[in-house]
Amino acid sequence: MSEFRRQHWSAAIDRLFNSIRQNFVTFLILIFVGSRQAGGDYFLYVLLGTIILTFISGIGGWYRFQYRVFEGELQIKKGIFVRKNVYMSKDRIQVIDVTEGLVQRIFGLVKVEVKTAGGGTESATISAITFNEAEELKRELRNKGTSSNQTDEIHEDVELLNKEDEFIDEWKISTKELVLAAFTSGNFGLIASILTAVSGQLDAVINDESIEYLKDTLPGLNNVTLIITVIVVILVVSWTLSFLGVIFSYSDFSVKKTEKELLIRSGLIERKHTTIPFDRIQAIRFVEGILRQPLGCGMLYVESAGFEHNAKERSIVLVPFISKAKKYDFFNRFLSDFHVPELDIVPPKRSFFRYLRRPNYLLLFAIPAAWYMWDMGWLLTFLLVPATILGWLRFNDAGLYFDTNMIVVQFRNLNRKTAFIRRKRIQVIEEHTNPFQARKDITSLSVTAASGAKGIEFRVNDFEKSDISSIRKWLLSGEKDTDLLSE
Amino acid sequence: MINDIPETRIDLKAINAWRLTSLIIGLSFFVPVGVYIAITVNTEVFEPLLITLAVILSLVFYLFVGLAIPKLRWKRWRYEVSEDAIDLLRGFIFKTRTVVPINRVQHVDTNQGPIYRKYGLSSVKISTAATTHEIPALDDETAADVRNKISQLVRQVKEDV
Repeated sequence: MSEFRRQHWSAAIDRLFNSIRQNFVTFLILIFVGSRQAGGDYFLYVLLGTIILTFISGIGGWYRFQYRVFEGELQIKKGIFVRKNVYMSKDRIQVIDVTEGLVQRIFGLVKVEVKTAGGGTESATISAITFNEAEELKRELRNKGTSSNQTDEIHEDVELLNKEDEFIDEWKISTKELVLAAFTSGNFGLIASILTAVSGQLDAVINDESIEYLKDTLPGLNNVTLIITVIVVILVVSWTLSFLGVIFSYSDFSVKKTEKELLIRSGLIERKHTTIPFDRIQAIRFVEGILRQPLGCGMLYVESAGFEHNAKERSIVLVPFISKAKKYDFFNRFLSDFHVPELDIVPPKRSFFRYLRRPNYLLLFAIPAAWYMWDMGWLLTFLLVPATILGWLRFNDAGLYFDTNMIVVQFRNLNRKTAFIRRKRIQVIEEHTNPFQARKDITSLSVTAASGAKGIEFRVNDFEKSDISSIRKWLLSGEKDTDLLSE
Repeated sequence: MINDIPETRIDLKAINAWRLTSLIIGLSFFVPVGVYIAITVNTEVFEPLLITLAVILSLVFYLFVGLAIPKLRWKRWRYEVSEDAIDLLRGFIFKTRTVVPINRVQHVDTNQGPIYRKYGLSSVKISTAATTHEIPALDDETAADVRNKISQLVRQVKEDV
């Protein structure tokens, strides 16, 4: 791989599809608007021209794009007008993603994305190469990559690598789990709000005329039933979309373990393979959504440092659906650096009312304001009940645990979240104390681990000050201060 | 060392530097009143009493933020750089204590804006893989010392991210 290579030419098609997908909404609007205006043909020519130009520039981009692995570096030359050379040292590589998108699958190819960490983080994407080439690339980039003090003899290395590549263990999710995951995914709320926003824009379809027409043709339709119908339709559509979204992204899911890495594979149409070396894991996160917690289930994420395109990409889904009971088994088999303990540090009794009050502070201002503005504003008062219940749940869920190597932070915003971080991966801890907390000798703690290009913060409120101090000491010394705890 | 709160204070000149900064930025507090006067000056809604009151309020707020707060802020700022960690304590109402283990530090630099330059002050910026932290307003020499000390300590215990 020390010679520069080109990708398969289908990279140009992939690029075309990507830019269409990214501008999908714009395209729809343009087609919609364009076809309704006089001289719509004219407009379609422009659209067609744009697509052809994008394709030509895609071919140019493909022609210029060359890559090789040379002296422990991934080197990429690219750019049509502005030439760009990217060099990535393999010691810095955090995560390697291999994706089989739709275009790639047609040609039997894969896309490789290499992510690094550190100042000026960057990612490199090679969008169309054969699976074997991708494997070779991966092997070369990992070879001696994680620990440079290994033996220099290449033969031994190859043997070592072959042994390292063997799968020791594999985890799959059953169809039942997949369906349950799809049922309980919280995405539908988000999709519903998007749908509502979009439907508000569809003046052309939804206007007085068409509503009158509907009322005439459908019996028993008046304003109230119409609104209810619209709400139900939006809910059903968004829920179906979120259901299908989960099924598509997590079908055929598996986690495989080799000596040094975790390999995650998932996806029905676009299949993604993610490789995470164990020594690049920054934190593990267990999230129990409000729909999933009653089933005793949640989702496991792994945090790793590296380049990110957007916040969604920051955390990697380790297991999309797992029951609490199975979680112990999973940690034992796949995450030997971590374990699931009982949380022995909890907030003191005197924090209880603070927890109950906290979610209500916002309402304290919202209720009078709403009351002043709308006649029905006083109805917001009823929100005090769920807010207080939320505070009560938060009090019960907050907990900490630490031993020589690991800290566990559990808290609830809406979903219950449990973070597992190795001591050596804690980037910074902060203690926050306001005057009321100071008077009661309690304090809030936030623990930050690296994730993506930034950090991820885990915060618990109103814990005993001495407990938090003992965590601070443990962070620096690695010893649990038993004297202080028994005091 | 780790047990107690950090001891080192930042430079006394910080108070004046911050005062100057706040007094310049704080001029924006008068913008609302100014706009109100400009709009209403030749109309019958123009109310001298209301405007005098608003000007006095703005002025009190301006002086409080510009003169009193910098002193309180300085009083509460403590830091400590030890072999294990960088320890920062700050905030006069909401207190925040930040502990950055030394081997998590990725790089340190010193910065100086125009006002800090006037007073011979620099701030030290500490970056980890996840966050950045700042020790503000140190004497130029002290800032350079702190920066060098941190980078020396980091080199001693260097581990990969």
